[in-house]
Amino acid sequence: MNRDTVVARKEPAQPPSAFHYFLREALRRMWISKRTSFVAVAMIAISLLILGAFLLLSENLQRAITRWQGTSRVNIYMEPEATAAQIEGVRSYLGSSPSLAHYTFITRAAALQRFKSYFTNLDEVVGQLDENPFPASFECQVTPRAIQSATFERDIGAIRRTPGVEQVQFDWEWVNRLKRLVNIVNAVGFIAGGILAIAAAFTIANVIRLTMLLYREEIEIMRLVGATEQIIRGPFLIEGLIQGTIGGAAAVGLLYLFFELSRRLLAPSNAMLWSFLFVGFLPWPKIAGLVAGGTAAGYFGSWLSVREQRNESGRP
Amino acid sequence: MIHFYHVTKKFDRYSSALLDVTFHIEKGEFVFLTGPSGAGKSTLLKMILRQMTPSDGQIVVNGRNLAAMRRSQLPFFRREIGMVFQDFKLIERMTVFDNLSFILTVLGVAPREHKKKAYTALRAVNLHHRMNAFPLQLSGGEQQRVAIARALINDPLVLIADEPTGNLDPELSLEIVQIFAEANLRGSTLLLATHDRELIRSSGRRVLTLEKGHLLDEHAAPAEPHAARGGGGFVNWS
Ligand SMILES: Nc1ncnc2c1ncn2[C@@H]1O[C@H](COP(=O)(O)OP(=O)(O)OP(=O)(O)O)[C@@H](O)[C@H]1O
Ligand SMILES: [Mg+2]
Repeated sequence: MNRDTVVARKEPAQPPSAFHYFLREALRRMWISKRTSFVAVAMIAISLLILGAFLLLSENLQRAITRWQGTSRVNIYMEPEATAAQIEGVRSYLGSSPSLAHYTFITRAAALQRFKSYFTNLDEVVGQLDENPFPASFECQVTPRAIQSATFERDIGAIRRTPGVEQVQFDWEWVNRLKRLVNIVNAVGFIAGGILAIAAAFTIANVIRLTMLLYREEIEIMRLVGATEQIIRGPFLIEGLIQGTIGGAAAVGLLYLFFELSRRLLAPSNAMLWSFLFVGFLPWPKIAGLVAGGTAAGYFGSWLSVREQRNESGRP
Repeated sequence: MIHFYHVTKKFDRYSSALLDVTFHIEKGEFVFLTGPSGAGKSTLLKMILRQMTPSDGQIVVNGRNLAAMRRSQLPFFRREIGMVFQDFKLIERMTVFDNLSFILTVLGVAPREHKKKAYTALRAVNLHHRMNAFPLQLSGGEQQRVAIARALINDPLVLIADEPTGNLDPELSLEIVQIFAEANLRGSTLLLATHDRELIRSSGRRVLTLEKGHLLDEHAAPAEPHAARGGGGFVNWS
């Protein structure tokens, strides 16, 4: 090699050995400043724990909705004085509409019978009635898919307007309200978790900034012996990345712990009210998302602090 | 290889650490830089590494005009230069081995070669048994030798040393100069700042003398006869 032709030399790319060095250095620095690293990890963990709790809540609400929809029923009550022809009209409408095709017809007598079997101790009261107060009705089993179909609402409306029909009962208001609740829970979770995650990223940025200050002299030496900014920044970026990932994993672990504990402690005493909130833990993609969120927040934090470090060499 | 054109360096308005300094060191030369304390030796060396920039004048090193060099080029430029700093500039948090390993990382040497290269470099300065010590556990002279090993580790194009024998006894000083001479024979261009008149005299090399920021005329310098410009590196000495 001619050592004098140096003006337009091709510069080598990132040295292959750099990554080893980044990782080793990052771990060593985290170990040296254990306490500050812990604060950074804890911040990430707490913010993701809160986000995770909201996600878990909405996840279970969502599951409850799905389950509830699976056993949905539409009740069509006829007027007591509805004629046989009117009942036939409803029956044929139901038969022609795919979403309501699975129905059972309950006659007035059957309705009374059913009431008696449910409330045997009210027999006397019923016996005193001069007339059967129960209307005839259709009970339609509807699938979740049918509820979501475009024609469902129109069908319900049409039946409501059919002569002889007194009332159509369907709890879909409820479903909608629950769905809205799920959306709100999700939004609150993302906003709160997001704000906290940004705060956590800034905490990490400060931790890294402090570390860089601590290593200022060393960084200056590195620059003097020809280290690129990439090599100098690498360990700091990896440090943030590791802290964020540990924070994310810790958040998932804690969330699972809390989930299991509250399922065991709360659920039996108040089964009806709570059980639907403890159907299951977060699915894998959301767990991975939480951990990845921690990684991203950590990397973002260190990237922030590393970026503002100006190259100070070459100054008098 | 190293060219100074009318270089002046002022730290304040009233005095200048270097004043209108012009000299040329050609490829393969081995040159001493001397002068009393405060004459500006360290200042001159720092400007070669662009650790400082001149107030006035031009510096060209390895064919690069330092004033025109882009900041992104600076690390690559510095990798061609081995520097022994007057205050060593070892990374105190790292062991001797890690200090050398870091340089090799910077230079892009594969990790599996680090042990061998570090060992070879440390053996040359007779410190291979202190590989795992931290700099602060070493004596001044030992730290200085680590700094020398670091500067020499990858046969730099230019080797600059600021008082590399300042903390060493005369015998060891001669050994170190011998090591520098070997690096010179392998092709490195050398500029070595020292107070040590004896060392300069015994080597018989070209000498640049600074006094209060002025470069004295080489022939008036109080040193022994020196080698001619351009071929100094290959002159025999014993
Ligand atoms: N960063 C600085 N700020 C202000 N003045 C400085 C600075 N660095 C050096 N000087 C001044 O410049 C002059 C030359 O200093 P320099 O360190 O180059 O001397 P030297 O020849 O290396 O001395 P020594 O042999 O003691 O190392 C001194 O008067 C010093 O006070
Ligand atoms: Mg000096």
